[in-house]
Amino acid sequence: MVELACRNCKYINIDSKVCKNCGSTELTKEWYGYVVIIDPEKSEIAKKLGINLPGKYALKVG
Amino acid sequence: MSKFFAVKTTANQERVVANLVEMAVRKYNLDVYSILAPKELKGYVVVEAESMEDLLKAIRGLPHIKGVVKGEINLAEVEHFLTPRKAAEQIKEGYKVEIIAGPFKGEIAVVKRVDETKNEITVELIEAVVPIPVTVKADHVRVVDKMEV
Repeated sequence: MVELACRNCKYINIDSKVCKNCGSTELTKEWYGYVVIIDPEKSEIAKKLGINLPGKYALKVG
Repeated sequence: MSKFFAVKTTANQERVVANLVEMAVRKYNLDVYSILAPKELKGYVVVEAESMEDLLKAIRGLPHIKGVVKGEINLAEVEHFLTPRKAAEQIKEGYKVEIIAGPFKGEIAVVKRVDETKNEITVELIEAVVPIPVTVKADHVRVVDKMEV
């Protein structure tokens, strides 16, 4: 299982070469910090990070 | 308005715990909105929930959880985890650092040069007889003394 973060939107993709969130192919294994967004509408953290879709994200990429 | 709570976990299991909490939240349909596991905060995860009850229901019976820190955390205290700065930005020339990884692990050194774009620093080991500059990743050192030598 390889977890790759998208350089564009920081979404973490598992065993995928294309970002499932934004379609970008620029994925990297160098990412730090982990955040799981369950309810983007109610989450203050999601608002601060500008995340609209639930899922797993990296805090820092590269 | 959501609240933030800190949950103590086994070290290096923060991501596992975050995933397990997410599964429990979806299963029981709880008002937990996000789970944060910053690299800087070892042994803890920050859970954003509507109330303490929702959090307690979400973590009940899960492995790797050692307890919940009493009281809430302010958003301001969590905010700086969201925009992590590069390790090199927090190190300045002259700082005394301990090398925590690589062949020089455990050595104390003085910072001679900082390269923020590469996230690298050049240091000189204090105990070396002949001063040799060594370039290491900024993540591989820990600041011991901020007094500029």
